[in-house]
Amino acid sequence: MKAAVFQSWRLILIGFAGCAAFGAIFWQLGQLHLVRGPALAASAEDARRSLVPLEARRGDIRDSRGVLLAGTRPHVVVGIDPAFFRDDDLPKLPELARILGLDTNEVKRAATTRYRSEGGRPIRWVRLGQVDDATYDAALALRVRGFYGTRGFERHYPAESLAAQILGFINREGVAVMGVEQQMDFYLRGQPGWRISESDGRRRELAAFRVREAPPVEGFNVVLTIDSVVQSMVEAEIRALAETFSPDGISIIVTEARSGAVLAMANYPTFDPNRFWEFPLENQRNRAVTDSLEPGSTFKIVPVAAALEERLISPETLIHCSLPVVQYAGRSVRLPSDVRELGEIPLTTVVARSSNRGAAMIGMMLGSRRLHDYSALFGFGSRTNWPLGGEIPGRLHPVERWDGLTISRLPAGYAVSATPLQIHMATATLANGGLRPQPYLLSRVVDRTGANIMHFEPRAPVRVVSEETARTMADLLAKVVSPEGTARRAALPGMRVAGKTGTSRKIIDGRYSRTDHFASFTGFFPAEAPEFVITVIVDNPRSSGVGFGGVVAAPAFRNIAEGLVRYFAIEAPRPERELARFP
Amino acid sequence: MTTTHRPLDTRRLLDNTRRILATTQTGRTDWIGPVCMIILSITGLFFIYSAQYYSVGNLWTRQLMWLFIGGSVYAVVSRVDYKIFLENALWFYLGALVLLFAVLAFGTTREGATRWLSFGPFTFQPSEGAKVGVLIMTASMLARSELSTVRESAKVVGKVFFVMALPMVLILLQPDLGSTLIIPPMVLALLYVSKLSRRFFLVLFAGVFAGVALLAVDLYRYAHFLDERGLTALEARGQFQEVSFLPYFRDYQRERIMTFVAPEVIDPRGTGSAWNAIQAQQAVGTGGLMGKGWREGLQARLGYLPRSVAHNDFIFAVLAEEKGFIGGVFVIGLFAIMLANGIRIAASARDRFGMLLCMGVTVILFLHVFINIGMSIGITPITGLPLPFVSYGGSFILSCCILQGIVQSVNRHRREFQ
Repeated sequence: MKAAVFQSWRLILIGFAGCAAFGAIFWQLGQLHLVRGPALAASAEDARRSLVPLEARRGDIRDSRGVLLAGTRPHVVVGIDPAFFRDDDLPKLPELARILGLDTNEVKRAATTRYRSEGGRPIRWVRLGQVDDATYDAALALRVRGFYGTRGFERHYPAESLAAQILGFINREGVAVMGVEQQMDFYLRGQPGWRISESDGRRRELAAFRVREAPPVEGFNVVLTIDSVVQSMVEAEIRALAETFSPDGISIIVTEARSGAVLAMANYPTFDPNRFWEFPLENQRNRAVTDSLEPGSTFKIVPVAAALEERLISPETLIHCSLPVVQYAGRSVRLPSDVRELGEIPLTTVVARSSNRGAAMIGMMLGSRRLHDYSALFGFGSRTNWPLGGEIPGRLHPVERWDGLTISRLPAGYAVSATPLQIHMATATLANGGLRPQPYLLSRVVDRTGANIMHFEPRAPVRVVSEETARTMADLLAKVVSPEGTARRAALPGMRVAGKTGTSRKIIDGRYSRTDHFASFTGFFPAEAPEFVITVIVDNPRSSGVGFGGVVAAPAFRNIAEGLVRYFAIEAPRPERELARFP
Repeated sequence: MTTTHRPLDTRRLLDNTRRILATTQTGRTDWIGPVCMIILSITGLFFIYSAQYYSVGNLWTRQLMWLFIGGSVYAVVSRVDYKIFLENALWFYLGALVLLFAVLAFGTTREGATRWLSFGPFTFQPSEGAKVGVLIMTASMLARSELSTVRESAKVVGKVFFVMALPMVLILLQPDLGSTLIIPPMVLALLYVSKLSRRFFLVLFAGVFAGVALLAVDLYRYAHFLDERGLTALEARGQFQEVSFLPYFRDYQRERIMTFVAPEVIDPRGTGSAWNAIQAQQAVGTGGLMGKGWREGLQARLGYLPRSVAHNDFIFAVLAEEKGFIGGVFVIGLFAIMLANGIRIAASARDRFGMLLCMGVTVILFLHVFINIGMSIGITPITGLPLPFVSYGGSFILSCCILQGIVQSVNRHRREFQ
C-alpha cells in the first residue's frame, strides 16, 4: 500500500528536509535564548532607558508695580490617535468638540480617518489644538479612547505688544532672542531638571518605570522700572501719531528726572511677541537705542549750556543773528540760515526761537575743543549704558577730523549723530541739576515668594554742568514752551514746561533731503523741580505742511505730560517754596 | 447535514452531536491532531491577550469566537467523506477564484493593500480560501493523471502550472506577497510525492538556481546603487525599480530581502526596515531559558514590537519572550507532532487523492510554521505569514481548521474501501 503511493526515497528526503528545518529553528532559538540572550537583553534595556529633560518654568517679567509683562503658563497640546479610537465613543465626540471649542465634524473626521489618503499609511496622532489645564481635565473626563495631550510651558505676553521691544521674546527653539528676555535669561530660565526613565516603542515616557529624578528649579522673576500705565499711555500716543502723520518711525522715552529710571520706552513700528513671526523683522528693533539721527535743534542745549558754564554768556547777552558769513580762526565761515531773519537778539530769544545762526555764533565763542568736549560730556558719541544691549554709540567726530563747516553746523545739531536715548539723556542732564543720569531699567530680581535675590541701583550720574547752569537752562528752555517760543503746543496749564524742539533734515543718498526729516521734542517738567523727562522723535512725519518738531512732536509731549500729571498727581511747585529755596 | 437547516430542533442537534461522538468512539478518529490544535489555540489566546495587555485591546475574545466557528467547521469537514472534494474539485476552485475577483472589485483597503472582504462586522481574506481551492484542484488533477512518461508529465505540469498561476496573479494584484509564497512550494511538494520524473526536478532546481543568481546580481546592483547615491533605502524607494533588469520586482521587496541577508547595508541604524526583525530577536533573546512570565514581556507591551503585528505575525516573539526557550520548544514541538502526524495519515491514506491532500496540508502547515517562527528568530525574511492556530486572524483560523478537517476526513475514511 505504502509503496504504491509513496516512493520511500522521496519520503526520506522529505523527512530529512523537515528535520533540517526544525533543526535550524531549534538551533537559532537556542542561540537567541541561551547564548545571545544577555547581550540582547542589555541592548533592549539600553534602547528603553532614556534621559528625559524636565523643563523649568521660566520666571516672570513684571513692571515696577508688579503688573505681569511676560509670564509662563502651562498648556496642553491635545490630539487624537485614530488607531486607538473606538466607534463606541462616537456619541461622546460632540461633547468633546464643545469642550475644546472645535467643530464636531472636524473632531469626528480626525478620530475616524485611520489612514492617510496618499500611500494609505496609518495615522498615528492628529493635533486638535492647544488648551489649558482645566479644559484638558474636563476633556479627559469624557474618557474618549485615543484622546490625549502633551503638557508643556508656553511663554505668554498678556499685554501683547506692550513694551515688546524692551521685553524681547522666546523664539520657537526656546531661545531668548532680545531685550530683557535675553539679557536676564540667566536669572529667568531657571535650571532644567532631568529624569532617567524608560520609554516605549514610540519614545513615549513610561511613568511607572522612573528610576531617578532631579526636579527642575523655577526661574527668578525680573522687575523692571517700567510702569505699564505710563507705557500704555506712551504707546497710545504713538498709535495716534502714526495714524495722523504716517511716519517711517517713532520713538518716545519717558524717564524719572532724578534716577534716570525708564518709565516707558516705545517705538513705532512694533510687534506682538506672542506672534512675533507675523511681523517684519525690522519691527523688533528698539529704534530708541539702535537707530541714530542727526539731532538738529535739540542739540542746541549743548553749546548754550557750555557757554553758560564757561561764563562766556548770560541769558541777557545779545547775539548777532543776521550775519551770513563770519571770520573764525582766520577763515570765512558761512553760517546756516534761519527760517526768519532775527537780527541782534538776547540769548533767551535765540533759544526760544531756535536760531541756527545764534547757535553757530555761540559755538564759535566756545571754540572747537570746548564744543567737542562738552558734547562728549553730554553723552554724545558714546553709549548711554542702556542695560539691554544692541545700543549704538552714535557719532561725534574728534576735532582733528572736523572740516571747515563743522564749527558752524555742530551747534545746531548737524555733523553729529545720536540715538533718541542719547538726546533724551542730554536733556535729562539739565533736569537732574547738571548730573547726567544713566538709564535705569532693571530694578530687581526676586524669587517666587517675592524675596529679593538681587537689587540693582541706578548707576552714578556724571557731572556735566553746575546746578546753577542747569537751573538757568531750565529757565531758558521754559521760554521755548511759551507763546513766543517754538513749542507753545507743549505747554501744560498751570505748570512750567522746559523743552527744546528739533527739526532735522534726513540725509538721503548723501544729500540733505528737502522733504524727509525728523521732528523731535525733548523736555521736562515742572521746570522748577523736574520730575519727568520726555523725548518724542518722529521719523519723517507726513503732514500737509512741514512737520516741524513744534507741530508734530510737541503736542505728543503735552498729551503724555498731562497723563503723567494726572497719574502721579503732580502739583506745580508753589512760589513760596521757590522763595524758601533762595533766601 | 440537513438538520442544520432547522436550528430550533434541539433534539436533532443533540442526536447529531451524539453521532459525531459515536464516530470518534470507533477508534478511527485521529486524536493527536485535534489535541495539538486545541493546546496551540489556547496558547494563542493567552498570548494574544498578553500582546495587547498594555494597549487594552480585546482581540482575544474575537479570536475565541473564531476558534469556536473554526472548531465547528472542523467537526463538519472531518465528517464529510473527502471523496466529494475529488468530485467537486473544480467547483471549490472556481469558488475560490470568484472570491478573489470579488476582493479586487469590492475589497477593503488597509495600508495600501486590498485583501479583505467585509461582511458587516466580519472581514474575510479570500487568499486563505485560495490555498484550499488550489490544494484540492491540484490534488484532484494529480490523482487522476498518469505521470508515467515525460510527455504526459509535461502536459500535467502545464495544467497544474495554469491552475496555480491564476489565483497567484489575482493575489499578487491585491498585493499580498506572503500568501502567494505558500502556493508554489505546496504544489511543488505535491508534484514531488506524485510519480513525476526526476528529470523534471533537476530542470526545476536548475531554474530556481538561475533565478536566485539573477536575484543576487540584481540585489548587488541595488546595494551599489544606494551606496553610489548616498541614499537610504527609504529615500531611494521606487527609483531602482525603474532601472532594474527584473520587471515587476519592487524596491520594498528588495528592501525586505536585503534586510534579511544584509541588514547593516540597508538599515545601518536599525530603525527602518530592519526594526521589526531586530526587535523580535531582542524579544526572543531576552526571554532566556524560562522566560519573563506571562504578561511580563516588555518588547510587546512597550510597543517595541509594533502593536499592529505583535498579536499576529510576531506572536511567537511574544511567547518566546514570556515563556523563554522552554515555551518556544513546547510550541515548536507541538507543530512537529502535527506535521509528523500529517505525514503518517498521508502514508496511510486509502488512495492517492487522500495522500496528496494530506501532504499538501502538511506542507502548508510546515511553511507557515517555518517562515513565521523563522522570521521571529532571524532565519527567514519577514513576510506577513501568521502562525497557525496561535496568531490572531479569523480567515486564517478558518482555513487552518478546514485543512486539518480534511486531514481528519482522510484519516477517518481510510479503511472503508480496503
